[in-house]
Amino acid sequence: MIYLHSDHIITPLGEGCEANLSAIGQGDCRLRMHESVHDEALMTPVMASLLDMSSYRIAGYTLFESLCIRAVEGALRQEAIPVDGDECVFIVSSTKGDIWCSMFDSAQHIAQYFGNHVAPIVVSTACTSGVSAQFVAQRLLESGTYEKAVVVGCDVQCKFIISGFQCFKALSEERCAPFDKDRSGLNAGEAAACMILSRSCSGLGWQLLGGSVHNDANHISGPSRTAEGSLRCLQDMLGYVTERELAVVSVHGTGTAYNDEMESIALYRAGLTDVPVTALKGVYGHTMGAAGLLETILSLHALADGQILPTAGYREQGTTYAVNVSKDVRSTNKHALVKMLSGFGGVNAAVAWNVSKTQPVQDDIAAKTASYGWETVAEVRLDASTDLVALYREKVGDWPKFFKMDLLSRLGFVAVELLLQKVKAFCPDMELDTEHCDLILGNRSASLKNDTDYQATIEDTDNYYPSPALFVYTLPNIVTGEIAIRHHLMGATLCYILDSEEQLHPLAEVTLAENATQAIIGWVECSDSTHYCANVAFKVKC
Amino acid sequence: MEQLKLQLKEQIIDALNLEDMTPADIEDAAPLFGEGLGLDSIDALELIMILDKQYGIKFADKQASKAALASIDAMAAYVTEHRTK
Repeated sequence: MIYLHSDHIITPLGEGCEANLSAIGQGDCRLRMHESVHDEALMTPVMASLLDMSSYRIAGYTLFESLCIRAVEGALRQEAIPVDGDECVFIVSSTKGDIWCSMFDSAQHIAQYFGNHVAPIVVSTACTSGVSAQFVAQRLLESGTYEKAVVVGCDVQCKFIISGFQCFKALSEERCAPFDKDRSGLNAGEAAACMILSRSCSGLGWQLLGGSVHNDANHISGPSRTAEGSLRCLQDMLGYVTERELAVVSVHGTGTAYNDEMESIALYRAGLTDVPVTALKGVYGHTMGAAGLLETILSLHALADGQILPTAGYREQGTTYAVNVSKDVRSTNKHALVKMLSGFGGVNAAVAWNVSKTQPVQDDIAAKTASYGWETVAEVRLDASTDLVALYREKVGDWPKFFKMDLLSRLGFVAVELLLQKVKAFCPDMELDTEHCDLILGNRSASLKNDTDYQATIEDTDNYYPSPALFVYTLPNIVTGEIAIRHHLMGATLCYILDSEEQLHPLAEVTLAENATQAIIGWVECSDSTHYCANVAFKVKC
Repeated sequence: MEQLKLQLKEQIIDALNLEDMTPADIEDAAPLFGEGLGLDSIDALELIMILDKQYGIKFADKQASKAALASIDAMAAYVTEHRTK
């Protein structure tokens, strides 16, 4: 069992859960129109909830790093615990970090600030990052790889991100209204949130029961109309808690037409329409890399006080299936929470928690030693001498979407195509187990090449035409979505930003879902149009 | 009008990376989305951006853009009526 030792949140409503829960109770909210973000002028104003950075800046660190450090400091203040040893890993959840600074370098700066020299892990799976990071921490601790994990999530809003969501027509100028019939889109938000997790029951002692990630293999920017990925996540969570034990499902609730509709379908199909549902984006906006952690932490603290948080902005049912949206604060005597999120790249994630204090039993403390291993069936290596278009034409040729992909996605796509062709040649009888084939990719430069291309579309105020087709690829996990769509992969898809390829394989094997039978694990790195390489492997459980 | 239609087809092929396609492959009246050319929601957003950039067209709402992007015929008619550059 994995336990929450301590936590901390930094939001525009204040620091710590007490201040934030009190502000939510009073209906406080900092969402308002902004014409600039942290001194950067916007071409179109945005409804956003932004932090006053002056309180958090640390000399020598970027804004993103400073906020993460402040969040970790807060969690350590709440209940001290050593985080500088080899038994502790830092896991950073972010969609973009500081954009022009390497996310891995930032993670390292954060860890080293606390004297920790274990190679950190960045989980960057779009909007699901904060829940995926909890899933990754749980797998790493449960396997005994580490004793403790400092999981910290953050994103700093800027013109780059806001212009992208604006050209995607995803933002609303009204306050976000999750699940409401008049919802018109999401708001931008900012926060930092930290959880310190431990294999030992200490501090808060709330239990992380389990987590799950599923791709819905539908579209890189739109959720499945039948909620395939979210449904699978919820079904997995019902293996940890029963419907009767479940106090609340904290949904993504972005206030966009498609997301909220999809989540209502997932809840309906999972038989959870009677369970109270809550969403916090009507208070904080979409805090991106922080969202999964922030919303879990707040929901847990409320639950420990016997409360289900209200859903600010919700007035009237606006989804096909009626779900039990908690409009106002409610009381509960139940102790279990499910937190779910969905994001670009077709990824969905959920975690289940219990806030009742129970003493750990011996079986819980022993690390779950895997009774299986992973055998490599085939590998494919590509480098910058490869002409990807020529290779695609020669060996694939039947997927016109290839030409719309960014270079990172083209690289990953072609490498996996060749890999699966090789597997077919070696093992003609082996079928791809699409329900249980996980896809885990890592790299160091995230989506740097495409970020540069997108930046060129917004740089010149006289020629400002942000490209949606480029913006979508500024999320480094989109390559996993492209591959999942091609092969209908519904297992977990994860994207790590790491130091090197050597860090990837042991990490990936531990963080594969317990029920995975096959895995595609690969290093897919692209820093510019002449520097790229891929090394992907197909593995089977044995 | 025929010249504008050809220009729109070339711009669509270029902006959406419709590799191996020529203007002759796109029928004037055929739907651009779904069964027709098979474009998706990101393509639609990209086309909205292209019409703004090339012709100074800003759509008031989703419905207006949906109708204007239905086919090459619809696009050409909309551009002719609403272009500001």
